[in-house]
Amino acid sequence: MKDSYHDKQTVPGAENICLTETVPVLKIVVFLGAVLLLLFLSLLLGPTGILLPDTATPVGSAIMSLRFNRMIMGLLVGAALSVSGVVFQAVLRNPLAEPYVLGVSGGAGLGATFAILFGAVAAIPLSLPFTAFVSAVATLLLVYGIASRGSGGTPSVYSLILSGVIISAICSSLIMFFVSMASVEGLHNVIWWMLGNLQPAPLSQRLVAALFIASGIAGSMLLASRLNALTLGREMAHYQGINADAVILVALLCATLLAATAVSISGMIGFVGLIVPHVMRAIFGPEHKMLIPLSALGGGTFLAVCDAFARSVLAPIEIPVGVVTAIAGGPFFLLILQRKMKGAWIG
Amino acid sequence: MAQVALKFDGVTAGYRGRIVLENLSFGIEEGEFVSLAGPNGCGKSTLLKTAAALIKPLDGSVYLFGDDIRTLRPAQRASLIGVVPQKVESPMAYTVMQIVMNGRTAMTGLLHGFSDHDFVVIERSMIYTNVLHLKDRYFMELSGGEQQRVILAMVLAQEPRILMLDESIAHLDINHRYEVLRILKRINREKKVTVFLVSHDLALSAEVADRLILMNRGGIVSEGRPGRVLVPEVLEMVYGCELQVRNDPFTGSIHVAGVLDDLNGIGNKSKTVHVIAGGGTGIELFRRLIVEGFTITSGVLNGMDSDAEAVRALDIEAVLEKPFSPVGDAALGIAREKALEADIVIVTDVPFGPGNLVNLHIARSALENGKSVWLAGGVAERDYTEGKQAGKLADELTDKGANIWTSLHELMRKLKVGMQ
Repeated sequence: MKDSYHDKQTVPGAENICLTETVPVLKIVVFLGAVLLLLFLSLLLGPTGILLPDTATPVGSAIMSLRFNRMIMGLLVGAALSVSGVVFQAVLRNPLAEPYVLGVSGGAGLGATFAILFGAVAAIPLSLPFTAFVSAVATLLLVYGIASRGSGGTPSVYSLILSGVIISAICSSLIMFFVSMASVEGLHNVIWWMLGNLQPAPLSQRLVAALFIASGIAGSMLLASRLNALTLGREMAHYQGINADAVILVALLCATLLAATAVSISGMIGFVGLIVPHVMRAIFGPEHKMLIPLSALGGGTFLAVCDAFARSVLAPIEIPVGVVTAIAGGPFFLLILQRKMKGAWIG
Repeated sequence: MAQVALKFDGVTAGYRGRIVLENLSFGIEEGEFVSLAGPNGCGKSTLLKTAAALIKPLDGSVYLFGDDIRTLRPAQRASLIGVVPQKVESPMAYTVMQIVMNGRTAMTGLLHGFSDHDFVVIERSMIYTNVLHLKDRYFMELSGGEQQRVILAMVLAQEPRILMLDESIAHLDINHRYEVLRILKRINREKKVTVFLVSHDLALSAEVADRLILMNRGGIVSEGRPGRVLVPEVLEMVYGCELQVRNDPFTGSIHVAGVLDDLNGIGNKSKTVHVIAGGGTGIELFRRLIVEGFTITSGVLNGMDSDAEAVRALDIEAVLEKPFSPVGDAALGIAREKALEADIVIVTDVPFGPGNLVNLHIARSALENGKSVWLAGGVAERDYTEGKQAGKLADELTDKGANIWTSLHELMRKLKVGMQ
């Protein structure tokens, strides 16, 4: 046989095959339909009743605007947390990785607590997302630095997660410390923020957050095909000509930006970054060019729906949305942990 | 003169102050199929990682097709050299097609998707490695051999000019191992892709490679044609134990084996057994006797006979006659002496013809001198002498008190009982 590597016609049956990337169009259409339906339903729910308010009246239009703004908050924060989880899980090749495990959320929370309690936020509202991001990046560098010690440069995934968990615990303790030292007036703000809620932040904060989140998601999407390669391990990605260290660094920065921004405008909302990526992977597969935008949409919708429940189930009392996601997410986390012990991922 | 595909020039490399490779220089020409062998921890993997720029040399330089590897961009490097690691795990449910596409990711820009050309290359790699029919299956559900072929397809999708494999074949089942080797040979012959196979399996390395490089303690001990490199003196120095090297009489391939008899059957050393065999009937018996610790002599055997090869490989003292010749008086005399020095004489189920009938005379002499003689039953059925002389001789031996044996297991048991 002559050079069949260059001439596919010499291989029987090969002439009919033409490979392309397959897109599950039907699944996506159904998914988009479900997203629109759920978002509409989330607008129906509120402490004032289970129907669309009458927008002709001033009260009704105010309620509608409030619900709409909370939906947008939910979409933004849910998308940010989900994409952050997708990226962390891919880079660290660990199904349990998410912003909280790496200490990134804890670091952002510590910075935000600091800014709230010492009055920086009251003076300049925009200082909140910036402080959160800066402290989250500092935490990530610290975690990365500790994990790198003694490993000659690049830390192993295990040392990264271990140091992440430790730094996260230290951040939580420091937050508790600051809260316990806080004056009574500041206390309610901080605790409410820590529980996680989607009450609309000031417009300037929301716009900056939207910009940060859009950049983080766009950056992650640019890296999507590299993230696919990285799931085979840093070494294999290097052999394939990918600048693995640079991709890992940029991906971690994007994921940190997303998590920190989410924390700064909505507080500590756990488990979204864990649940959503796994569910979306189970439905659409792990290919990141598809997974990232779909997770953004799915995660945003999930959080908007959770928030609609949180504000209407025990009306007029509002449950913090972080409590709802944690109650839904806890059992899910245990399920993944169990599967992980058997060596398999969900999705 | 072919171009030098991979060149190490005085390379020193290692991890955190521990130097693994020291001042290493060698070259591989384009189109060669080279194996790198050596004991565990000798620096094979470090060498491979240095060649793929995963580890930076502390001193010296690595060149790929004339370019210093430090000057190459990662994507350029990947189009020159592809690496198949020992094992690749995908933690997520990627399909085979998605896995293979990773091989072309570095060649696509951040803003661009895969082009038609990329898909053509991906498809060819999958056809070449026979995984196209698996394209929609999940990678992690495949068998080890199939996974290895998928990884090979992924690396081929880089269109590398050198292919390096790190111990990625030795752990496969034998059928998959040869399937992958056939693919490598084809790529090497048809595509002129240089193959650099790293393996601790000496026989495998020798079997497939044009050239073998033997490493020990971070340096090259010997290189050249496998037959020249795999000689007992060199191997024993490298591995620090006694080794035997022999050629397979059927295929000419090289086998390397350790020596076990010093551990076996301590206590039977004093007893000597003389074995009359031929045509391969003695091989199993020799092994069992060695295991039980007997001292063995054998003869007369014809040179190049399977049993003659066996006694040479097992280092058994034997009396040999020229190949395909009747047993002459000189050899017969020595063999009779050996039989008379032994405590036991065993005759295997070797067929008898005019050439080797005299071997039965040796057994008779031994019997007459009071030795214990064990004769494989049914001599008459494998008697090709005129007038059934061997059969008659066997009957005579039985009458005089020779023991008849049929199964090797039973023979060994009775011999051991006789020892006590």
